Amino acid sequence: MRTFRTLLWLEHRRSWVWAVSLLTSLIFWAWGIKQVLVSDIAARVGIRSSLLGAAAAIGLLVLAIMIGRLRAETRNGQYQVMLLSPPSGYTHILARFTYASVVAAVYFVAIGFLYWWIAELAGIHFDAVTLIELILGLPFFGMAMVVFPMLAWVLLLMVVVSSYRLAGSGWIPGTVMVFGSGVALGKLGEIMARVAYALPGWRIFRHALGAVVERFGPIDPDVSMEMSQVIYQGLPIEPLLIMLAVTALMIFLAGRIWQEVEA
Amino acid sequence: MSATDRWILDMDAGPIYLQIGIRVKEQLARGDLAPGEKLPSARDLAALLSVNPNTVAHAYERLEADGVIETRRGLGTFIREDAPVAGTKKETLEAAAVRFVNDARRLGVSLEEAADAVKEAWNAGPS
Amino acid sequence: MLAHLEHVTKRYVKADGVLDVSLEFPAGEVVGVLGLNGSGKSTLLKLLAGLLTPTQGAIRVFGQAPRQARSQFVFLGERDALWSWMTPKDAETFMSGVYEDFDVSRFNELLDILDVPRRKTKAMSKGERGRLRLAMCLSRDVKLYLLDEPLAGIDLISREKILSSLVQEWHTDETILLSTHEVAEAEGLFERVLLMKDGRIALDTQAEELRSQGKSVVDAFREVLA
Repeated sequence: MRTFRTLLWLEHRRSWVWAVSLLTSLIFWAWGIKQVLVSDIAARVGIRSSLLGAAAAIGLLVLAIMIGRLRAETRNGQYQVMLLSPPSGYTHILARFTYASVVAAVYFVAIGFLYWWIAELAGIHFDAVTLIELILGLPFFGMAMVVFPMLAWVLLLMVVVSSYRLAGSGWIPGTVMVFGSGVALGKLGEIMARVAYALPGWRIFRHALGAVVERFGPIDPDVSMEMSQVIYQGLPIEPLLIMLAVTALMIFLAGRIWQEVEA
Repeated sequence: MSATDRWILDMDAGPIYLQIGIRVKEQLARGDLAPGEKLPSARDLAALLSVNPNTVAHAYERLEADGVIETRRGLGTFIREDAPVAGTKKETLEAAAVRFVNDARRLGVSLEEAADAVKEAWNAGPS
Repeated sequence: MLAHLEHVTKRYVKADGVLDVSLEFPAGEVVGVLGLNGSGKSTLLKLLAGLLTPTQGAIRVFGQAPRQARSQFVFLGERDALWSWMTPKDAETFMSGVYEDFDVSRFNELLDILDVPRRKTKAMSKGERGRLRLAMCLSRDVKLYLLDEPLAGIDLISREKILSSLVQEWHTDETILLSTHEVAEAEGLFERVLLMKDGRIALDTQAEELRSQGKSVVDAFREVLA
């Protein structure tokens, strides 16, 4: 445990500038949201939500870069220091993954909170359950589906590229992995689509529609029906489990390859 | 003489452990080291000279066998009270003589010329 | 036997690192690994450290594959391996958190002996960084030290301090392999010298042996490389 804590500490010391910059950028996004003063309320909510969508996408990119800096260490002797330290490859990889995941969690939960704020500003008052689903539930679902797998994938890619450095260009297996991942992701998507909703979905936002109606009055019955169906279907559990398993697998592989890396 | 001067080593001049032994005897002969005086520990001397402690230990072993030094348990290494000062003086002088004679021979001078050079240098006083 | 290599060859894509090298390293030796750039000295040390895997042959360190035994030896690489924001205190936190055998009080003593400034490494000279890294190495309680060019590019005073500390801290049951260009400066330290040329061992002998033949290690070095 002591070694894991030390590696987390190291990760923090290496990366805190990135983490802090990312988290404080939310102030900028919050300010941006406030600056949107379009009169049509639907448009206003729409534009503000898009801003947060952009914040989420940019956050994803920044996190990928932050965790991908492993590559830079191979050029300095730091990678040698890491490889020769007693903790296993799994411990090293897990420490980096954990740090990035914690930063990601704070960031995306904050974005969930900002979504709630946009609704509040528009006069839509969600109940407590919807609130928790918006601030915690949806962000964690999104992270499990997209962010955590992405972080694990970047780690794996960096380790793969580093492991072939001496045999010539490490970018050959790296490129293979990138293209291979694209294909694999497509296949994975097909499987997930087929398997989805075999189990009942996770129904969130059950009262969300009600809150919107309370604010704006009755909605067109066809639209209302459609939205109710979507909400009734809920978020698919199977893809969630599949992506969690894929994430765990990639972390395991990254740790395994680390044990064999030359420097 | 400074510490480093007293312990000059030449990597081209044969095994270090022998050279260290010679240096100790030279210092004893000159009076830079007195009978009963404490020598640096093998490790300290090794650190001073940037040589392997085993080499110094080897040198000290030989000096002990020659009856020049002794190890007193827990106290360190010392020049023996009965160290053969006269003997080392003779040895050191003879070694210097051999070096001088070799130089002189290489110059092709006669014994008389060599002896004259010695007298002149002696009368000129210490440099 | 602390470590041995059996018919080890390491080929790179563009060059040979070492060719058919067989060596044994018992406990208690201080070995100089000497040679020009590209002679294979760095490769040899990295193979022993498990940073490289041999193309052919077997390497055993403390009876295991080198990487497996990594908590039982110290490898000091040629490259500056510290994070630029690290202070000696950070180095202490890292080392003590990750190595069980790290002696914190000895580390601080060595920092004083080696005169290491308490600053971030980016504010240190190369010599100061070299001294810090040596202090980190010598504060671990191991039997095998693999030091790859610890004196390279370092100022004279730092080199003297490093050599002096090595002499002071070395115990007779420990083995040190030290590769260096500064043959003349370090030659007194070595009991055994390995001269490498083009990936092979050109000479493997005791330093005092050479000297009893009237040759300094520097002389033998020049001869072998001619």
